[in-house]
Amino acid sequence: MRKIAMAVVAGAILSGSLATAQTATAAQVTHDPNVTVYTQAPRPTVQGLDCAGGTGAMGCGPGWFWRDGWRGFACYPC
Amino acid sequence: MNRPLIAIGGMTAAALLMAGMTIGGSSRAAAQPDDYSAIPVSPNVITDSTAYTAAAPMINPNGQPGVTTVYTHRDDTRQITNTILVLPDPQAATNAISEIRSGLGDRVSNGRTQPAAVGTGGTVVTGTSPDGTKSVSVLLFTEGNAAGSIEFEGPKNDSVPLDLVVDYGQKQDTAIKDSLTT
Repeated sequence: MRKIAMAVVAGAILSGSLATAQTATAAQVTHDPNVTVYTQAPRPTVQGLDCAGGTGAMGCGPGWFWRDGWRGFACYPC
Repeated sequence: MNRPLIAIGGMTAAALLMAGMTIGGSSRAAAQPDDYSAIPVSPNVITDSTAYTAAAPMINPNGQPGVTTVYTHRDDTRQITNTILVLPDPQAATNAISEIRSGLGDRVSNGRTQPAAVGTGGTVVTGTSPDGTKSVSVLLFTEGNAAGSIEFEGPKNDSVPLDLVVDYGQKQDTAIKDSLTT
């Protein structure tokens, strides 16, 4: 009787571990050491041009340019 | 032996007293009420601080009590003529501005008038010189018994920005208040 009980318990343990085991699916990716990983290309930066076609002298920025005007040397709109 | 020392001391004191009177006298002369040469504000206060050079102030321009100072830009294409008239009362200042405005046709063609937040009744007339070769803007305002007329003359395609006119005019207005109330 004791052997029967032990066999039942062992069977239950075994079936439980099998039931919770992971199952392979079609989408599963297998580890392949030859797979090449591509890094994301750097995003292109957009630099606005000033009215002279440059990138803005003295930090004036797009739409402005550096010259000697009514306020002396300063950034003036195009 | 003590008498020469006393005499020297007395002479020194007298000399110092006279020097003090002379210095005091000259300082009073410099502050004569009809010397307005210190009233005009240099436009360099609103620029990179070296853009304009002032000519010698003209006291009592056209026989009127006041001062005119001409500021010339280092590139020699821009000029600011700042005239402050100090008249007996505010009504006389208003009349002077009306007279200047009525004569602006000789200095500004195709003038466009817009209000400016400077002093009392501040206005800016913007156009070109009669020969069409330059831009001309004239700021007119009164402050108490003072009449201000500031003319900005520059390249035809680069008239003075309105914000600079207002900025400079407000600083001039403040200088008038400070000068005429002390």
